[in-house]
Formats: sequence, C-alpha cells, structure tokens
Amino acid sequence: MSLAYALRRCGLMVYTLLVVSIIVFGVTQILPADAAVVLLGENATPEQLAALRDRLGLNDPAWQQYARWLGGVLTGDFGISVRTGQPVLPTILDALSRSLLLALLSIGFMLVIAVPLGIAAATRRGQLGDIAFGIVSYVGVSLPEFVTATLIILLLADTFKLLPATGYVPLGEDFVAGLKHLVLPVVTVSLIMVAHVSRMIRSELVDALHSDYVRAARMKGLPETRVVYGHALRNALLPTITIVALDVGYVLGGIIVVEEIFAIPGIGRQIIIAIQSRDLLMIQAGALTLATTYAVMNFLADLAYAVVDKRIQYE
Amino acid sequence: MSDAPILAVADYTLDYRTRLGAVRALDAIELTVGRGEVVGLVGESGSGKTSLAWAIMRALPANAIELRGTIRLGAVDLRAQSGTDMTHIRGRRIGMVFQDPAASLNPTLTLGAQFVEALTTHHGLSQAEAWSEGERMFARVGLADPPALMRRYPHEASGGEKQRVIIATAFACRPELILFDEPTTALDVITARQILDLFLELQRETGVASLYISHDLAVVSQIASRVAVIQRGRIVEQGGVSAVFARPAHAYTRQLLAAVPRADRRLVAEMSGHGKQLAAVRDLTVRYGRPSLIADLLGRTKPMVTGNRAISIEIRWGEILGIVGESGSGKSTLARALTGLARFEGSLLFDGKRIGGATDMTGGYRRDVQIVFQHPDSSLNPRQRIRDILGRPFRLYGVPDGRPIAEAIADLLRLVRLPAEFADRFPHQLSGGEKQRVAIARAFASRPRLVICDEVTSSLDVSVQAAVIELLVDLQRKSGAAYIFISHDINLVRQIAHRIAVMYRGELVETIAPEQLSTHGPTHPYTAALMAAVPTIRAATTHAGGTS
Amino acid sequence: MSEVLARLVRSPQGAIGLGIVSLVGIAVVAGPWLAPHDPNAISILARYKPPGGQYLLGTDQLGRDLLSRLLHGAQSTVIMAAIATLCGTVMGALIGTTSAYVGGRTDDAVMRTIDAVMAIPSLLMSLLVVSMLGRSQANAVLAIAIAFTPGMARITRSVALAVRKQDYVSAAIARGEGTAYIVMGEMVPNVVAPIIVEMTIRVAFSVMLFATLSFLGLGAQPPTPEWGLMVSEARKFMHLSTWMILWPCCAIALVAIGFNLLGDGLRDALNPRT
Repeated sequence: MSLAYALRRCGLMVYTLLVVSIIVFGVTQILPADAAVVLLGENATPEQLAALRDRLGLNDPAWQQYARWLGGVLTGDFGISVRTGQPVLPTILDALSRSLLLALLSIGFMLVIAVPLGIAAATRRGQLGDIAFGIVSYVGVSLPEFVTATLIILLLADTFKLLPATGYVPLGEDFVAGLKHLVLPVVTVSLIMVAHVSRMIRSELVDALHSDYVRAARMKGLPETRVVYGHALRNALLPTITIVALDVGYVLGGIIVVEEIFAIPGIGRQIIIAIQSRDLLMIQAGALTLATTYAVMNFLADLAYAVVDKRIQYE
Repeated sequence: MSDAPILAVADYTLDYRTRLGAVRALDAIELTVGRGEVVGLVGESGSGKTSLAWAIMRALPANAIELRGTIRLGAVDLRAQSGTDMTHIRGRRIGMVFQDPAASLNPTLTLGAQFVEALTTHHGLSQAEAWSEGERMFARVGLADPPALMRRYPHEASGGEKQRVIIATAFACRPELILFDEPTTALDVITARQILDLFLELQRETGVASLYISHDLAVVSQIASRVAVIQRGRIVEQGGVSAVFARPAHAYTRQLLAAVPRADRRLVAEMSGHGKQLAAVRDLTVRYGRPSLIADLLGRTKPMVTGNRAISIEIRWGEILGIVGESGSGKSTLARALTGLARFEGSLLFDGKRIGGATDMTGGYRRDVQIVFQHPDSSLNPRQRIRDILGRPFRLYGVPDGRPIAEAIADLLRLVRLPAEFADRFPHQLSGGEKQRVAIARAFASRPRLVICDEVTSSLDVSVQAAVIELLVDLQRKSGAAYIFISHDINLVRQIAHRIAVMYRGELVETIAPEQLSTHGPTHPYTAALMAAVPTIRAATTHAGGTS
Repeated sequence: MSEVLARLVRSPQGAIGLGIVSLVGIAVVAGPWLAPHDPNAISILARYKPPGGQYLLGTDQLGRDLLSRLLHGAQSTVIMAAIATLCGTVMGALIGTTSAYVGGRTDDAVMRTIDAVMAIPSLLMSLLVVSMLGRSQANAVLAIAIAFTPGMARITRSVALAVRKQDYVSAAIARGEGTAYIVMGEMVPNVVAPIIVEMTIRVAFSVMLFATLSFLGLGAQPPTPEWGLMVSEARKFMHLSTWMILWPCCAIALVAIGFNLLGDGLRDALNPRT
C-alpha cells in the first residue's frame, strides 16, 4: 500500500465527516420549522420562545449557526444537555465505550460463526446441508433486530430462565455477570449479519471454486484442502472485507434498537432518550459520534483491504 | 515397452445432461499419444476437444455422463482412479497448460509461490529447494531476473511472462504427458510465436509426450507429428500431419483447411488504377484519460495515455484498407476516432469536407461512415429484437425508395444471407456468426460509403470467419463501399486488402500494397517480425503443388 | 412479460417468493374485506385468547382479533414500505443516472458525497428525520425514502456506467442517434432490470425498517394495527400471551422473506442471456 493511497483515503474520510456533520446539523437544526418549539414544546409562550431563540442564536443565518456548532464540536465542546444539565461530551464518550464493546463483540462473534458456515455451505454446494443453509439464511436476513430480540428474550430468558433478559453490568465490576448480560444483545446484533455475511462468503467462494485459477490449482495435483483454503478462500475473503465494513453501518443502526430493548446504556439508547426528551445537542452529538465511528471503521477496512489485495494501488 | 502409448483413449463416449435431455459431447473417441510424441487435436468451439481434456484430467463437470470407453495413462486406468488418487497423477504424471494465463494464475499469490507448491506437493522438496529450482526453471523458460519475478504477483507480469511461468510449472514436475489447451490463443501474435518456440525447445529437450489442443490448424501443422480432427464430438480423421494436411480425406478437414486465411489466395479483385480520395486523416492523435483533481492539487501532471500518435493515411473510393497490429497498437482507437467515439487532434477530411470532431459529424457523415464491432454480444442490445436493431438506421436515415420498413428489414437480412424470420428473434437466440451478420446488416442499412470493420471475425470460429469474410467481400463488390478492415491477423488482411497499414504502439509504421509485400517483403522491421510470427500451414504449402 | 414470469417460477426462489408476495398482495388489497372482525373492536371478555374457535389466531390484551388486525395492518405496513422504497429508488435513480451521464469531476464529487451520506446508518437517518419532522406514518415513509436514496443512487450509477461502456451504446452514438434515444431506447431497458431486482430486495428491508420505526414509537401510532407497533405493544403482555407477539413477528418475517426470494428469483429471470 502506498502512502499516497492512505493519504487520499484519509482525505476522503475527512470529507465524509464534514458531510455527515452538515447533514446531522441540517436535519436537526434547520429542518424543523422552529428548533425553539422542538426544545420547549408546543405550549411555550412566545416570550419564552423568543428568549430561547436569542440565546441559541437561532435568528442568525444557518451557516453561522453551523460554523459556531462545528467550532464547538472540534474543540470538544458539544454543549450542555437540556435534559441532564450536564456537558454532552462525557455522557457520549461513556455511552460510546459500551456501544463499541457491544459492536466489536458482535462483529467478532459474527465472523467466528459466518466464515465457517459460508465455507461449509460452499464446499457442499447443492447438497442437503447447503439447501438448509440457504433456507435458514433467508429467514436470517429477513428478521429485524427487534423481532429477533423479542423472540430470543421470549425463548431463552423467559421460558428457560437461562440468561438475564435486560440490563447492563460493567465488565469491570462483575466480569461474569457482565458477560451474561452481553450474550443476548450480541447474538441479536450478529444474527442478521451472520446470515448476510455467510451468504456472501458462500457465493464468493462458489465463484472462486469455479474460477480458472482454482481449476488450474487442482490440475497441478494439489490436495483439495489446499485448493480450497490456499487458493479459493484467499480470493473469496477479499470482497468480504468490504462487505463486513459496509455491514458495520448496519450493526451501528441495529445497536440502537438492541440497546433500547436490552436496556444497555450505550449510544443508541442515549439517542432514543434524547429524541424522546427533545435534547437536540445530545441527538446531534450521538448521531455524529455513531457516523464517525462508522467512517473510521470503513477507513481502517479500506486500508486493510489495500494491504491484503496488492492490486488496489495500481487502479 | 517403449512402443506402448503413454495415453490411450479407446471408444470413449460422453454425454452432458441438460434441460433438453442428454447431449452427446464425445462419441467413440479413439486417440493415442506415444512416448515423446506431439499429437495435435484440432476442432472448432463446441467440438468437444476441451471436454476430452477434462475427461483425461478427471475433472468433468457434475452433469457429465460417461457412457463407455477407457482412458489409460500407461498401465493405469484413469477412469478407475479415485479423487485422491488423481491428485497424485495430476501435475505429477499429467501436466496441463491453459488457454488464458491471466485467468489461470491466482491473483493473490506470488508467481514463485504458485510454482513452488507444485514441487513441494509432488516431489517432497523443501520450500528452499523448490524456490531455487524455481529460479533455475524461470531462467530456463527465458524469463529475465527470476529471483525478482518469483516475488511478483500475476498482475505485475505480462501475458507472455505468465504463460512462461505456467509452462515452467508444468515441465518442472517432469510429467509423462502434458495437455496444452489452446496455450497461445489469448496471446499476441509475436508473444504466441515465442511461446510456441519455447514449447518446441522444451519438448525436444525433455521428450515429454504432449496432446496439443487448438483451433488453429497452422499452429498444429508446425508442432505436431500426428493430428486428429474433431467435429461435434467425433474424430473424423487422424494421421501424420503432412499426410492429413496435404491430402485431407474427410470433407470437414478440407473445409477447415480451405477456411484458413492464406496470403497467397487473394479474395478480392484488384483496384483498377488509383481511385479518387474518399477520406484522409492528417496527424491524427488521440489521448485518453483526464488529469485527476488530486494530481492537480499536488502539482503532479499524470501523463495522458496516447492511443494514436500523428497518424496520416488516406482511403480511396471502394478500397479495402487493411490495418494490422497487436493489441494496444491503437488500431481500434483509430476506428473510434473516425466514428466520433474518441476525441482527436489533427485533421480529418471526408469527401472534401473538413471534420474537426464529433460535432462536425452530421447526419450525412454518420450515414456514410458505419462501424462493425468485434463482439456482437456487446454491439447488439440484448433487449431488442433483430427487427428493432435493424429498423433503427432506417428510422434515422429513412428507408431507400420509400418502401415499408418491414420489407427493407427482410431485404437486409437476405443481403447478409439470413432468413427473414430472424427479425422476430432476440440476439441471444442466434449463433455467434449469425449475430455478426446482423451487425453487418445494420451497418449496410444506410448504404454507407465507408465501413469500418473492427476485428469483426476474431471472436468467430475459422469456418464461420471464412463465411463472414466471403460475405463482406461480396457486399463490398455489390455496394462499392470502402472498408477499413482492422485485424490482428496479417494473413487475413493480405487476403482481402488493397493496401495494408501496419500499426505499432499507437503509430503507423508502414503502408504497403499486398503484392509488394509478397514480392519484395516488408520495409519496416516490425512488419517483418509480425509476418515471421504468424504460423502458416506447413504441410499444405510444401505439398500443395504435388497433390493438386 | 409472460416470458419473464415463466422464467421466474422455474427457479424455486422465484416460485416461492412470487407465492408469498402474491399472498401478501391479496392481504393488502382485500385484507379489510377478508378480516372476520373489526380490528379495533374491544372485547373485555375475550382477552389473551389462544388461537382457535371464533378467533383464528387469538386475541390481544384488549380482546381484539389478531387475524383481523394483521390483515388490516398489511396495508399500513407493506404499502408504506413499498411507497418508501419506490420514492427512494426514483430519487436515487435520478441522481445516479444523471451523475453517470454527466461524468467527470461532477460525477466524482457526487459519488464521494453519496459515500459520505451513507456513513449515516439507514435507521439512524430515519430516526433523525422522523424525530425532527414529527412522529407519523407519512414522515416515516419520507424518512425511509431519504435513507434509501444514496444507496440506490450508487447502484444505479454503477449499472448505468457498465451499460454505457457496451458497444451497442457506442454503435448508437456512431450512428448519430440523439441523446434521448440513447438513454431511453438503449440504456434504460438494460438499467431497469437490475434496479427492479435491487428495489424488490429493498422492499424487504423497508418493511423491516418501517416496523422498527413503529416499534420504537416513531412510525405508525396506536391504535393502527401496524405490525411493528403490535409487537411493541404486545411486549408488555408477553407473559400473558405468547401468540400476540408471535404472529406479527411472523408476518414481518414472512413478507421480508417473500420479497428477498422474489428479488433473487427476478435477478435470474430478468437476465436475457440465461
């Protein structure tokens, strides 16, 4: 990977963050007819509204408001939450650490399940196992997180009383209890991705197994395991890196629902609470943080891809 | 024991299961390859020649049904071998070299790694031993700087280099038999010649028995000692190369031989005197690519790729101008420039009018200048019926004599010798040759004065190619249109062109009349190299006088 | 059209997908008419009934007939999801084709921006839009349409660029055809098929997203028998009756499976070369 590529990709990430900040700010502050009404509710008096508008600078041109907000964000000042009266940033960072733990565990769990599953299906193409895999994976990609979560709670936590249904215990406090509380959320978040990614791996691997270079490797007399793992899988996993990176966005979306259902005080739950309590600055900070996380993960995935796939810097 | 064949295929019959029932792929094949012998297997696409290769390698697709027959490698019955048994035979006792070196190398592994794994698997060499053997073999097959090349990835090597690596791998395991499946088809003429020479050299040195599968009779005539001709799954004729090519017994062999382009067999009448100038290009240059924004910002200027450099040439009324060159020589770029598909610098004069660029190409010019592309699969819209495809030029330029459009389309189909019912079909319901005829018909709908044929026959089989060429020559005679006939095959161009322009790396290196080329030879060294590289049928040229 | 249909039912995915989607279509069109009860009729005496008897699928916490609610809910769930997908597709297709057609630096800039917009997860984007515009079904539709636009723009553009490179487009240009014919006559028919496939699959995703918004209380509002909302309401009572949570879950999954299968089936059926 060349330095020029890394720099170019880095520039793209900065641009991405800029666009994201404009959208987040635009949607939350410009889109509503009157942010003051959003903040104070329909029953506020005109005097209250005017005072708030003045205080927030809502009468200034949009770009000035944006510049002021972005300046704050860049210096780490996300403002004060109207709900808690506390600065937004520490709350967000706290929540982010929990969400990242959930996201990374889910992605890790997903890979551990999805990769072998995809390989197993591809190498048994057309057999009973592959067909069963096909049916199950269709169901898998068709279940929204709230359905999965609800069904899992119904089955594992409620009926069999195996695991705690909701709540969060920090791993630092009680490691075992913390893990137990994370099992169901992790399974829920990863399920749809397991279905998606393993299907992807299966179809990429099936293509690779039918490619000329794999046939050539077979004709060299290499044992089948070496053909599958040494030749076909290398190429099948490359596009999967990109797919997984894109799915991270989906995970981060799914986390919002899962945190809400399992009552995990992560960034998704913060956003939902903020939306319910019309805590504008918290919504902005939460959305921006989530999108930034995604952009950074994608950036890292692209760099990883460039390291693995030698062709990319020549294109 | 020495006269026992290495490979013996007897009464081998193979079907493929399809939705329309069983289709015969190979029918009672009898074929042997003796020790140190090179046997050529010649056939067109769909003849079953590649199926035979997969049958020998025991790598048939799942829908194959083997009905009867035996395939023996020495004393071993290959059909009785299990999957694991075959891994000890493939590569070690039977090597294989494939058609497309770019596709048959794994893009994510270094060339060295792909060489080494064969030796470590079959001969138990250590990684280090195999690696140094690789450097030796890479040097042996004429690759420069083997240590560096072994660490490179396939995309960092040229097509010729890749095929050398594959050949090195096949020979390194010292197999008893090597199957070559069209090993030079995907390569440029001069590279192909070098690969062929390399094959002959290594074959003589090692004495390995080879089954050489090809559609190219000329290549087979030069390297094989015996040849088998296969048509629709049946071997219709086999014997010594000189005997078969000099005195072909079967009609199909005769047809194939007659279809091979030969420079000494002209297909067009000579031009009477010097015709009037139809079009002329002066200093035509085409550049591709655009500078990137980032490169601009960094103050770097990325060099633009030049497709054509200062081309000057003229085309006369009713003339066939052949343009020859390898891939990347800029011959297709010229075609794109003349049809307004590529921006060009320099001047273009057509019928006395100056054409500065695509905007000057008005309805009149478009009607007069038509183009036929190489791949009919891409040039015919898959979602349009033949009727719509052929009706389009009429809607655009009007129907001659004001006849109904359906009648004009039927006439057009007749003109290219296709039944009028084809108007109802979609392109995918036609064969490759038929599709190309439709594309040709579309070009002739407007009664053009210049038709640009860009490699129109290179995706077709030899016999189909011959028929399409004959059609084009006939159309030219009837319509009086001038052709720019672009091809990589200098023999084909020498058959039909009135003048030949040779292109090399974007430049026009020489323009020469075919008679002069035959009598005095080329003036430019590249033309000479090109002519030397093109294989011609050996037996036929040496024996032709004696038999006819 | 009938040819495509024949090819569609030949593949198992296509046949099953078409079957499920047809059933869903019937529920959408004739659901209210087929429903045995009024979906909002409260019956205190018949609460938490298991399936059977008068109530085919059972009743909920207010004694409302679950089957009737599901059949009525098909309209609010599936139609809204389909409309949202259609809007997102049209907007995306417009941006994508225009960008591909204009090309050059404009195309680069548009695509970089699209990539950037896609850094905001669809669910988050819809959440933001709905929470700012106010919670309602119409706003949820708009939110999903907005969330889908960048993805569809990206897909349309790549398909359009691939078609643009085909020789039949070059042939049309060389023939001197006008831009309108080249775009509408040669390119669009070849671009539409992959977009229809993508759109079908996205209806599944849209149903899921729409139900999720309602589940979070940001889409359809009570007492609408929207399926996501039904799950959300039933959660409080799941100790009393499992059925009232199971049925809407199954309905959502079934619709999503149906559109996923249909999309994959269409992919093969619409390819003229197979």
